[in-house]
Amino acid sequence: MKTIVLLSEAKNPVSGRQQPSRLEAQAIGLAAGLDEAPQGLHAGSSEEGVAAGLGHGLGGLDVVETPAGDDPLPALSAFLRRAFAGDAPPALILCGRRGEGGLETGLVPYLLAEMLGLPILADAVAIRPGEAPETLVVDQAMAKGARRRITVRLPAIVTVHPLAPPPLPFAFGRMRRGEVRRHPAPAADAPAAGTLAGERPHRARPKLMRTAGTASGGANLHVGPEPEEAARLILAYLEDNGIRRYGPA
Amino acid sequence: MSRVRKDPRAERVARTLSETGRRPRLDLGRREAGPASGRPRRDPWREWAASLAGESDTGNGRKRYDRSQRQMNRVEAAHFARTRDGLDAVDVSPGQPALRVIDEPAFLVFAVVAAAGGRLSRFDRQVLGGARLLADAGEGGGAVVAIAAESIEGLGEAGADRLVVMPRASTQRERAEVLKAAVDALSPRHVLFAEEGDSADCARRLSVALGEPLFPDVEHLTARQAVRAIRNAGAEIGLAPPRLMTLGEDRARPYEDVPCEAREIEGGGEIASPDPAILSVEIIPGDPAKLALSETDFVVSAGNGVSDFGAFRDLAAAMKGTPGASRVVCDAGLMPRQAQVGASGTVLAADCYLALGISGAPQHLQGIAGCEHVIAVNTDLHAAMIERAGLAIVQDAQLVMPALLNLLKEREA
Ligand SMILES: Cc1cc2nc3c(=O)[nH]c(=O)nc-3n(C[C@H](O)[C@H](O)[C@H](O)COP(=O)(O)OP(=O)(O)OC[C@H]3O[C@@H](n4cnc5c(N)ncnc54)[C@H](O)[C@@H]3O)c2cc1C
Repeated sequence: MKTIVLLSEAKNPVSGRQQPSRLEAQAIGLAAGLDEAPQGLHAGSSEEGVAAGLGHGLGGLDVVETPAGDDPLPALSAFLRRAFAGDAPPALILCGRRGEGGLETGLVPYLLAEMLGLPILADAVAIRPGEAPETLVVDQAMAKGARRRITVRLPAIVTVHPLAPPPLPFAFGRMRRGEVRRHPAPAADAPAAGTLAGERPHRARPKLMRTAGTASGGANLHVGPEPEEAARLILAYLEDNGIRRYGPA
Repeated sequence: MSRVRKDPRAERVARTLSETGRRPRLDLGRREAGPASGRPRRDPWREWAASLAGESDTGNGRKRYDRSQRQMNRVEAAHFARTRDGLDAVDVSPGQPALRVIDEPAFLVFAVVAAAGGRLSRFDRQVLGGARLLADAGEGGGAVVAIAAESIEGLGEAGADRLVVMPRASTQRERAEVLKAAVDALSPRHVLFAEEGDSADCARRLSVALGEPLFPDVEHLTARQAVRAIRNAGAEIGLAPPRLMTLGEDRARPYEDVPCEAREIEGGGEIASPDPAILSVEIIPGDPAKLALSETDFVVSAGNGVSDFGAFRDLAAAMKGTPGASRVVCDAGLMPRQAQVGASGTVLAADCYLALGISGAPQHLQGIAGCEHVIAVNTDLHAAMIERAGLAIVQDAQLVMPALLNLLKEREA
């Protein structure tokens, strides 16, 4: 099953150096279970960070050389259109939930799905070929450890959830052996906007604190209750706060 | 910020009484000019009077004050609550919350709530709180419309004025289609999602379907701007709140004022056609016993105060929680190392933590810093875990565990 993994231009938030995104490395690991030589696809100005994907299990890497800061979507869709029209069309396109290093909207896979007319599934933690040919079984992560198992007709786009298995270990030799193919970017209609209007250095903002609503002590401190009373209090607390519901379903 | 400088001479001139020929006389009691800083003076007497919640009638006439700063909201509530047919919660009395009713909103704000298991989660409340903020800030006052798959308890308290019940869709594509129909029909000013799971997926599908940009993972939301990080948290952009937004977790305060009415209205579309590419959908419920500690939502944990580990494992299974342990227990080999909670174990993302016989060492408390609800059972009233807990029970864990197991068995029957 021919698989393409979309790679973004992730940077280390501290050093600013390019590095592979963890989620995309996990996607490569999932792809390697279906295709012994999954191919990477990256649209951007440099391949320094994404080349590490070869060391994590990619069989080859296509780089569409678009100017830095350009919208990668036209380049990606033109490349994929050509791939689908070619003689070995891909069956599956994998990507992270959100590309890193750019605008990080997470819209690229959805826009690609719309442009190429493919179904899209989000948050995969496991994938395997379906029983019927040209189908794929995708396990989606849901809250509280639940999974949604969906059988989808290929070709399809699937995004990967952080709970997917960890990436394959990095191998330097594989990275050196991997083939990188460079392609010129299609002519852009709009010149690249280097920075966005209103862009400024990031300021970390505190998140809301998570603490119990009740101040401790007071009404919720019970000293030496009967064990039965204590058990009743615990279950009532769990049910009032919507953690669990006990009893016949 | 700079305060206006006080000019004592000008103040003196302003207070001088014009009685010529005699010694100048000053009127020091005069106040109408206001303070030089321009800031209004606090009137503590009025504040106390406003926070008077009641007077006990046991004869001694003791006054009860409510200083939780909700008094202004009661006044606001009186302003908003008007008589409607079938609704007579107009009387604003302390202790009995009034209903906040918005009859003719100037605009609508959608809040898409996931409400897994038919309950509002903390994140859902935050999304509703963010929507409430945008609705109250707009000119003329807007209404928050909760978009949910069913009618959920507590939507009004969480700040929803209206409720649109969506038909149950089996695939995300159908869900987005139905939502698009609702957006087309009611044309809200903002649509707010949670940046999590199906909501985040639905937001992107809606953005593509409407051809409108999405402003995802908002980190800071006020009436005037929404801010989010870009370029690997190297930069951020702030805009006036756009139409489609997803909100990051723990970024907006939940609504905590007078309950709103959460009246159900029409607006949900019909499911047009099933998605031809999806061949089957099956939901596999999670088994808490097998979940990783970092993924679960409820941990039942044992410390050095627990001696009967057979009963503890039965209890964790019966309570549908993931078993955890303190380091002492893992070091002793009584529980596997993967079960260790704390700084050198797993840092939990769970909502609830039940600690049986755990003292609450700082290294252990670090691991449960993100837990909203903590229940502690400990024999020591002064243990740090008892102080951290939302429900603290000072009792022997060896007695409480069998009692809990018995009670759960009774409930099952
Ligand atoms: C570098 C470092 C890292 C560490 N990292 C971790 C970590 O990641 N996780 C961790 O847990 N610890 C960690 N520790 C250890 C930590 O400091 C504490 O020693 C440990 O958490 C204590 O575990 P405990 O509460 O189970 O045991 P104790 O401190 O022995 O507490 C037992 C509690 O049970 C109560 N009790 C006794 N009998 C009963 C009964 N019958 N019924 C009910 N209650 C009873 C007692 O009152 C007491 O409060 C670390 C320590 C260091 C130095």
